[in-house]
Amino acid sequence: MPRKSIGAILVVAISTTLSIYAFAETTAEDAAQYRTNVMTSLRGHTGAASMIVRGQVEDGGHLVAHARGLASGASELARLFPAGSNVGESEALPAIWEKPAEFAAAIDKLTNATSVFLAAAESGDKEAIAAAFRDVGGSCRGCHDQFRVAQE
Amino acid sequence: MLVAAVVAAMTSFVWRRNKSLGTGVVTAATLLAAAAAFAQDDLVRRGEYLTAAGGCISCHTMDVAGAVPLAGGRKLETPFGTFISPNITPDKATGIGDWSEEDFLRALWEGESPDGEVYFPAFPYTAYTGASREDLLAIKAYLFSLSPVSQSNLEHDLSWYVSTRLAASAWQMLNFEPGRFEPDAAQSDEWNRGAYLVRHLGHCGECHTPRSSTGVLQADREMAGSVLGEEKIPNITPHPDAGIGRWSKSDIEYFLDAGMLPDGDFAGSSMGDVIDDNTSRLSREDRLAIAAYLMSLPAMADD
Repeated sequence: MPRKSIGAILVVAISTTLSIYAFAETTAEDAAQYRTNVMTSLRGHTGAASMIVRGQVEDGGHLVAHARGLASGASELARLFPAGSNVGESEALPAIWEKPAEFAAAIDKLTNATSVFLAAAESGDKEAIAAAFRDVGGSCRGCHDQFRVAQE
Repeated sequence: MLVAAVVAAMTSFVWRRNKSLGTGVVTAATLLAAAAAFAQDDLVRRGEYLTAAGGCISCHTMDVAGAVPLAGGRKLETPFGTFISPNITPDKATGIGDWSEEDFLRALWEGESPDGEVYFPAFPYTAYTGASREDLLAIKAYLFSLSPVSQSNLEHDLSWYVSTRLAASAWQMLNFEPGRFEPDAAQSDEWNRGAYLVRHLGHCGECHTPRSSTGVLQADREMAGSVLGEEKIPNITPHPDAGIGRWSKSDIEYFLDAGMLPDGDFAGSSMGDVIDDNTSRLSREDRLAIAAYLMSLPAMADD
């Protein structure tokens, strides 16, 4: 095969499947670190939101901000797992790339749950907020169960 | 149901014999029947709650999507081999539909089947022995209110040296003392409720307390963590580093409710099933009681 076509195939492969790399010269390590950082931000939002939901901290209008953070983080999930980014401290399980349909379904679940939670937070209805937040947690947990390295 | 039928029969009998008494008797009978039905409903509801507290569903339901709850078939991997949980729906042929109340109590309190067969301690009768008669009979009433499911039990697949019921008998003789939970008068009601739920009904120690080489729970390392198959079961004593000593009571309660760790992470693990099927279905008061009890345990460093 001529060198040119190999190059072309590579370019196509990279720009279609690894759009995150195509954007800038993102290394696998960068992709993994970026993913970890986004996930950590989601954890921060759930941890903070839970304390408002449980009534330990005054809302002061900030629950909506955390709910928005969760919804926007969830909308980014699909692009956080480019192939080849399971490097370094990554806790991703190979199942993410082996079962793309199941993984996409798990992301959908979170996306839906976070938008329901955002709507509930905006409505201020405490019962709806509590129920929706539980569903957000349930979809985090469900996905981690299948697609993240077991935590100690 | 039966009570209602008997009352109805009596009523029609009285009605025919003495028409003048009729109206009053019918009203009283209707009320009585209704009261009996309510009492039965109430017992079943209490039983449903206690079944969640007792963690029956997680082990007695297959680990596949769409599995029928409580029909058995779940595999439990242990160092002694693989145990397969039996069907505890009220099917007479394959479940426990023929069991009397005394049969049920004997199984849970003494670890013996109605045929006098001794159970392996994979069935946590060693914990359930502390449960009250009232609670266990409510659980039985709930189980018997469910639709019977015909699903035959599978044989356990065990190492040769424990593969006979004789091994189960010997183990029981050496390591088991039946007895109900006795509240500790020096402790609060909340603590006692928590102790009852953690040690007996909820049998948390079955996973969280390490075992000796013969499978006996190490009482002096209660809740200090263990290993089950390939999963490391965490230390949940109040040790600040090895255990959950940095968690607040509310953190523990919320973890048991929603599965969130204090830092906002939602960890998936076999505890996820326990949360979904058991602890999330408890009242907040009961979860707080569990937290109070766990926080009172001696803090244990890892081995």
